[in-house]
Amino acid sequence: MRKQRLTILIVIVLVTAAVYAVFFSKLFLGPDRGGKTVTVVLRSLNVRSDYWQTMISGAQTAAKELGIELDLQGPLQESDTDGQVQALKDAIARKPDALAVAPADDPRIPELLEDARKAGISLVVMDTPVTLSDPPVYVANDHQLAGRLAGDAAARSVHGSPAVAVFSDSPESSISLKRLDGIRAAMKEHGGRVTGTYYNGDSEQLAYEFAVTLLRSEPQFNAFITLNESATLGVAKALQEVKGTSRYKLIGFDSSIYEIQLLEEGAVSALLVQKPFNVGYLGVKTAIGMIDGRRTDKRTLIGSTVVTRDNMNDPDIQRLMFPFPVIQ
Amino acid sequence: MPRERPLRLPLFPLKSIRLSISFAFSCVILAAIVSISLISYGLSVGAVEKNSQGYIEEIIKQVNTNIQSYVDNMENISLLAMTSKDVKYYISDNSFISAEERRPYEKRISDLFQAILYTRQDIANIMVFGYNGRFVSDRRITDLNPNAALTEQAWYKDAKAAGGRSVISAPHVQNIIQNEYRWVVSLSRELKSTDGITAEGVFLVDLNLSVINDLASDINLGRRGYVFIVDRKGNIVYHPQQQLINSNLRTELIPEVTAAKSGSSFIADDNDGKRIYSIQDTNFGWKIVGVAYTDDLIASKGALRNSILLYALCGLAISLLISFWLSHRLSRPIRDLQADMKLVERGNFGIQTEIRQMNEIGQLGRSFNMMVGRIKTLMDEIILNQESKRKSELQLLQAQINPHFLYNTLDSIVWMAEQKQHEEVVLMTSALAKLFRASITKDQEIVPIRVEAEHITNYLLIQKMRYDSQLDYDIDIADEILSRKTLKLLLQPFVENAIYHGIRGSADKGLITIRGMRQGDNIVFEVEDNGQGMAPEQVQRLLLPDDGDSRKGIGIRNVNERIKLYFGHEYGVQIRSELEAGTCVTITIPTL
Repeated sequence: MRKQRLTILIVIVLVTAAVYAVFFSKLFLGPDRGGKTVTVVLRSLNVRSDYWQTMISGAQTAAKELGIELDLQGPLQESDTDGQVQALKDAIARKPDALAVAPADDPRIPELLEDARKAGISLVVMDTPVTLSDPPVYVANDHQLAGRLAGDAAARSVHGSPAVAVFSDSPESSISLKRLDGIRAAMKEHGGRVTGTYYNGDSEQLAYEFAVTLLRSEPQFNAFITLNESATLGVAKALQEVKGTSRYKLIGFDSSIYEIQLLEEGAVSALLVQKPFNVGYLGVKTAIGMIDGRRTDKRTLIGSTVVTRDNMNDPDIQRLMFPFPVIQ
Repeated sequence: MPRERPLRLPLFPLKSIRLSISFAFSCVILAAIVSISLISYGLSVGAVEKNSQGYIEEIIKQVNTNIQSYVDNMENISLLAMTSKDVKYYISDNSFISAEERRPYEKRISDLFQAILYTRQDIANIMVFGYNGRFVSDRRITDLNPNAALTEQAWYKDAKAAGGRSVISAPHVQNIIQNEYRWVVSLSRELKSTDGITAEGVFLVDLNLSVINDLASDINLGRRGYVFIVDRKGNIVYHPQQQLINSNLRTELIPEVTAAKSGSSFIADDNDGKRIYSIQDTNFGWKIVGVAYTDDLIASKGALRNSILLYALCGLAISLLISFWLSHRLSRPIRDLQADMKLVERGNFGIQTEIRQMNEIGQLGRSFNMMVGRIKTLMDEIILNQESKRKSELQLLQAQINPHFLYNTLDSIVWMAEQKQHEEVVLMTSALAKLFRASITKDQEIVPIRVEAEHITNYLLIQKMRYDSQLDYDIDIADEILSRKTLKLLLQPFVENAIYHGIRGSADKGLITIRGMRQGDNIVFEVEDNGQGMAPEQVQRLLLPDDGDSRKGIGIRNVNERIKLYFGHEYGVQIRSELEAGTCVTITIPTL
């Protein structure tokens, strides 16, 4: 009798629990993310940098949408690698739930990221690839695709088989290498070739000088592809100054005001514009997905847009070139 | 398990009715409470949603009014320009003018525009473009962007096409001024000459998009709610997540919104969650849409849920207790009946169960009572029958011995009288008379031991006189038990047996010893003889139930059964016997 009573009590308790579990699951739509924190460490928090500010606004949009706490960290200047390493160390010490990092090219970074992982922090690498023992979840612009698009744009602009001179910042830059790969692939497709790769560091002057020298030596190419802003500006200046160079086309990357003006003038045939907003948004969203334990894509690659004079006044393109929050 | 599975599991696999009832009650109550809780929660949430829908409509109406007033302001400013004589003159086709004469006009117009701009921080540019190629802005020196063709600008073309009505553009980057790239909303309007027919130029007011942005983004529609604006054609004018929509990372319900009427609202429920869309039209063609997530709106949803859960749990606890109590009450008559049945099982047929109500259980109890009563009657009848059977057997016994014994005794008396043994004749005759007197009292079955002792003495006296030298006897009954009671004719059959079967066949002189004594609570009689004795199987047969063929066992069996019937099974007769050595019969009865 006593045993029976115990059984019936247990049955009732279990039934109650089951019913209430159903009840609760109906009430709680989705996981509760209250108090979860995603720390975003970027290479620069400079308000004058459209690129990073746009990425920040993307991250903020994702954080607001999914209702989590966003902690933005990073040095003021993009070149301040020590600053980023320090910011990363501090961020790991605070043990956020997830860490989204746009890392600098620095040998100390991978080690720190391994530490973060060991501390149980979900890790998302944005923008620049990093080699870790176990490849991290990676959200970035598709640099290789951007290179291909640049090659395609060059082919279109020269109306024939393209022969391109590529201006890059350094032979070590992983992003530039990927872009170069893409350009080579596009050249293969269009029956063109890369006649040479020139490294101007981040110097507009050096690019200008290289370009002037190249143009004066009766070059074998018909288009420049410049992988960064300083090279674009330097080459454009050279093209404007050296006489009889109107047949050379220029395809640039990024979208500073100066580059946009060059595009308006026609000095630049096309600009490859990235989508840092999407990188920030998807980076944070992926990080939250990892916190929730959802399946996330190991690699998320975001396409770039080719902007020419023809489409530069489209509202969509304007949004990309003139990031709204920065204008404010 | 080796046990066989039952064919069909019962609905409530519990052993007692009480538990089954409370289990059933609990299930029903649980289901009722849970469904009621869910329904009431759903109703409350529905009510809150309805309220918030109205609230959002109000907010969006307010946003609409604000945006409308900004646009109205711009229109008023454009009216100011239109009515300005300086402007009209400056862009008019007709006359003049040398460059020197133009300067003061330009200065005056520019000053007017600047004055407006000072009062309105939210205005980015005010410009007038004459079809004569002249233009004035709010700045002293204005360099137009050489790479941006004026006639290609959307706002310019739209104004020309609208022919005097003002046109609002979608947000765009205004690049008409050199080195300036600002996000603005443009209001443009074609200016007519004084005759009102000839178009002479286009007037432009650029409103900083941040104004719209602030107006829309400052609206609090919960944690995730937002405001967005679409134009007549369904193009997004403003959306906080425009970048995501452009990249197809997000979709907005544009077709539904464009189809919706001003002031209406609808509820969308998809992967993004349940949300309310509230739509207001402006008079210049924009639709202001507020989107609020119901989860955000119902701030007290958690509290609502918790209180409902709390009440439900309390209700559950109380009703569970009630269900236990009810099932206890309902099943009590059955348990009482069950207890009474247990008593009957143990042999107590005097039970009558108490009937409280004449329901099914009451009827069951009545049937039970009737059944028990019937059984009791039957059992009494059986006892009565047995008793009367004993009595008739006893009478038969008496009837059987008497004639034989009487004949022998009378024969002995005759013989003694012939011998002139007067004394012996007197003794024997009186003993015979006493003996018969004892057997006459048929109505009493229980007699004092004294009477029985007298009886057996008389009997043995007669027998001894008959057998004289062959028989000797010794009666030794303790004085303390003489006043106690015993069954009538208890000893006589054994003595008779000892004489006829033990001693008569024996060559030696027979001795019969009768002892009566108290042993604890019992009284024990022993009838011992030194006759020829019996084999064990003979002894056994003596006490076995009637085998019907012989009359010699009737007396002994009868006595044994009478004892058991009267005094209980623990009492009775025991016989020890040995061939050629004798027999000892022990009779045990209680002390009465």
